[in-house]
Amino acid sequence: MKQEVEKVEPKKDEYFQIEKPYTLSQAIVEADRCLLCYDPLCSQGCPAEVEPGRFIKKLRLRNLKGAFKVIKEKNILGGICGLVCPVDKLCEEKCLASGIDRVINIGKLQRFLVEYGWDIGFNPINKEKDKNVDVAVIGSGPAGLTCAAELAKKGYNVTIFEKNEKLGGILRYGIPPFKLNDDFLDREIEDVLNLGVKVKTNYEFKDKGSIENLLKDSFKAIFVSAGLTNAYRLKIPGSDSKDVLTYQDFLWQINSDKVDEIANKIKNKNVAIIGGGSVAMDVATTCKLLNANNVYCISLESMEDLPADKADLHKAIDHYVIIKPQSQIKEITTKDGKVIGVKGNEVKLLKKGDFSPSNIKDIPNSEFSFNVDFVIFAIGSGVDPKIKELLPSVAFDDKGYIKVDKESLETSVKGIFAGGEIVSGPSLAVNAVRDGKRGAKSIINYLNK
Amino acid sequence: MKDLSITVCGVKFPNPFLLSSSVVSNTAEMVARAFDAGFGGVSFKGIGGPSAEIINPAPRMHSYNLGSKKLVGLQNVEQTTDRPLEDNIQDVKWLKKHYPNNPVMVNIMGFNKEEWKYLAQVFEDAGADMLELNFSCPHMSVEGSGMKVGQAFKLVGDFTDIVKRNVKIPVFAKLTSNVTDITEPAMYAKEAGADGITAVNTVRAITNIDINNFVPCPNIFGKGALSGYSGPGIKPIALKCIVELAKKEELGLPLAGCGGIETWVDAVEFLLGGASLVQMTTSIVKYGHRLAEDLVEGLSFYMEDKGFNKVEDIVGKALPNFYETKDFDLSRQGAAQFDLDRCIGCGVCYIACQDAGGQCIEWDSKKRRPIPDEEKCYSCMICSFVCPIDNPPLITFKEIKGKKIYTPPPSKL
Repeated sequence: MKQEVEKVEPKKDEYFQIEKPYTLSQAIVEADRCLLCYDPLCSQGCPAEVEPGRFIKKLRLRNLKGAFKVIKEKNILGGICGLVCPVDKLCEEKCLASGIDRVINIGKLQRFLVEYGWDIGFNPINKEKDKNVDVAVIGSGPAGLTCAAELAKKGYNVTIFEKNEKLGGILRYGIPPFKLNDDFLDREIEDVLNLGVKVKTNYEFKDKGSIENLLKDSFKAIFVSAGLTNAYRLKIPGSDSKDVLTYQDFLWQINSDKVDEIANKIKNKNVAIIGGGSVAMDVATTCKLLNANNVYCISLESMEDLPADKADLHKAIDHYVIIKPQSQIKEITTKDGKVIGVKGNEVKLLKKGDFSPSNIKDIPNSEFSFNVDFVIFAIGSGVDPKIKELLPSVAFDDKGYIKVDKESLETSVKGIFAGGEIVSGPSLAVNAVRDGKRGAKSIINYLNK
Repeated sequence: MKDLSITVCGVKFPNPFLLSSSVVSNTAEMVARAFDAGFGGVSFKGIGGPSAEIINPAPRMHSYNLGSKKLVGLQNVEQTTDRPLEDNIQDVKWLKKHYPNNPVMVNIMGFNKEEWKYLAQVFEDAGADMLELNFSCPHMSVEGSGMKVGQAFKLVGDFTDIVKRNVKIPVFAKLTSNVTDITEPAMYAKEAGADGITAVNTVRAITNIDINNFVPCPNIFGKGALSGYSGPGIKPIALKCIVELAKKEELGLPLAGCGGIETWVDAVEFLLGGASLVQMTTSIVKYGHRLAEDLVEGLSFYMEDKGFNKVEDIVGKALPNFYETKDFDLSRQGAAQFDLDRCIGCGVCYIACQDAGGQCIEWDSKKRRPIPDEEKCYSCMICSFVCPIDNPPLITFKEIKGKKIYTPPPSKL
């Protein structure tokens, strides 16, 4: 007899909820606190050139459509940036309302306006007449999506090549779902696709020079925004065990249909996260939301120098993540191939931010060991080494990133442009948006020559 | 705690705070709770004679909001009553029995002389301490009722006269602000024997028109009407009326102030302007009866701070400072003063001065600070109204001895 297998839908929503949005009345209360400065400093802080001073004034004067328009025109991913931007270091950093009591919650207002625009079904973007010119975009992270949208607005035929099943790149596979969920991401990507951008997902370039060769095909220009997909691992004893993951492996599984599987694995288990950045904190919080027992976040930096965004650090601490700063893991202990613990000792960095071995001094008698069942590395990532083969004529710098002209983002090969983390190294989504805009502008200039 | 009692027309109120005749004084049960919470008295909504139809437009009110502030004003299209006269009479009797120290003024409205007489008598018999004649409801459609009486001054006199002839208790005439000069109907009331004036009823207005379906608010199944508007939005108008009435020497009657009173500060302003009693509704809609304790405490602390021993001593205290604009001393000039050490650099003073003022503030974009020019400043002070720094304000007015009035140069066209 044939047994019916019940298809279990991923239960992501049970574990993760993104922050509640403002209601219209709450947004108005917040906008009412804005000083509406002359020459507002918030409007000078956005890499994507979104002007909060302008959209908040429009909200105050009940021109909500206009507010939505000025966000979306400048940043097609304005909703996502509202959710994930470290606004305290950008637009909100110089907000003068802090001189009265506290800064305006700009990120949350921006997100509100974008969702408001979606709710009323308002399309603020005009698309120019078809130019019949093909452009290829490699990778669908924030840089690629933005570049594609900007070109499509101007009437170019854009095709995005994405190696994964779904679009979004780091937005889908590098941001935990309690910050940005699939529904929100899909909705904003829809805005890009509605401009007529074509996509080829599950598309992998394999042959030598195959990206470059697109220029020999019908494509007149290429924008490379493949991101950093090669997450680092420390080479220490035990780090090749199957219970040792990179943050990318982990978030990939969380953001895929495998969330239940990993949730079952991690429940009531102890996890060590290696790293002290925002990603490490996000991963740690994610583990806690999946009901892990003890979660340690072990980093070389001191507590004061943790590179993590304050909000991300506080979120981890709020979820009872144990922060272990100024500490170095020397060994991952295993038994029968399974991770059973981590061993290390406390250290002092002689010079801030320098992680070369000669700069790390062990502190005597500070050895520690934790019983853990999983280890996750969140110590950054680099360019996929295969990319060089796919772009044999393109010059890379000594850190392995693509070399470009800073202003035009043009690579050493005419017609090939690059942006996002594959050029800058680890950075913010909104900086990738800036690159996408810049790349599109340069490609248009190049094509009009 | 200071003694806040005040005696008006021989009736002693434990404090000057009254419920006005409206939804908040609709039943004895509500009024009793208000007295328990600290209100001194009530103008009981006794509207509607024996023949009055019981009607209730639905929905009957609309909130006027400003930015994130809700209920800056309240619009209502209530007419007459939603209760029969017998119930109101029972309620007044019950209140007088259970709350003998809280005066009950009953607000009545008749449609003809006979009805005015009848209503006045039944409520006097029920034990009312005072009557309040409603000459001011701004949305009555029947000629010779509500505001239409208040605007036909002779009728004010006639109806006051018939009531005065038939009762012994004091009678207040409640007037509308929807006239050119409120002292005119007040004089008609006085000449007919009125003992006091209540000012003002709701102001005839329209708070909102729905921009999607073009129907004024509140929307009574596709229909709206110009009707009564109350709350903080009308306070400046109500206060003006009290000052005009108080300054009218020939009138010389005690006043009950009504319109937009929320806090003890508002109440004190009405007392200073010449009112002996204050009445409220919209603030109770907004905060409930619990606002009474803060009115009472606030007024008491104020009297302690200012050395007043009796509420009577506050009444009319500001009147000598009201002049005609022609009486100002125009030889004295000044300018806005900026405490720039506390400036946070938002620049809204610059925008206001350039776009709506005397163009006497320049902007230092490097330092993000205003550069005021005292000589050109004509003291409109709008810069201080938009400046977010308060307590104490960053921008203040100061007299400058010998300063000449600045005349801007001819426009460069």
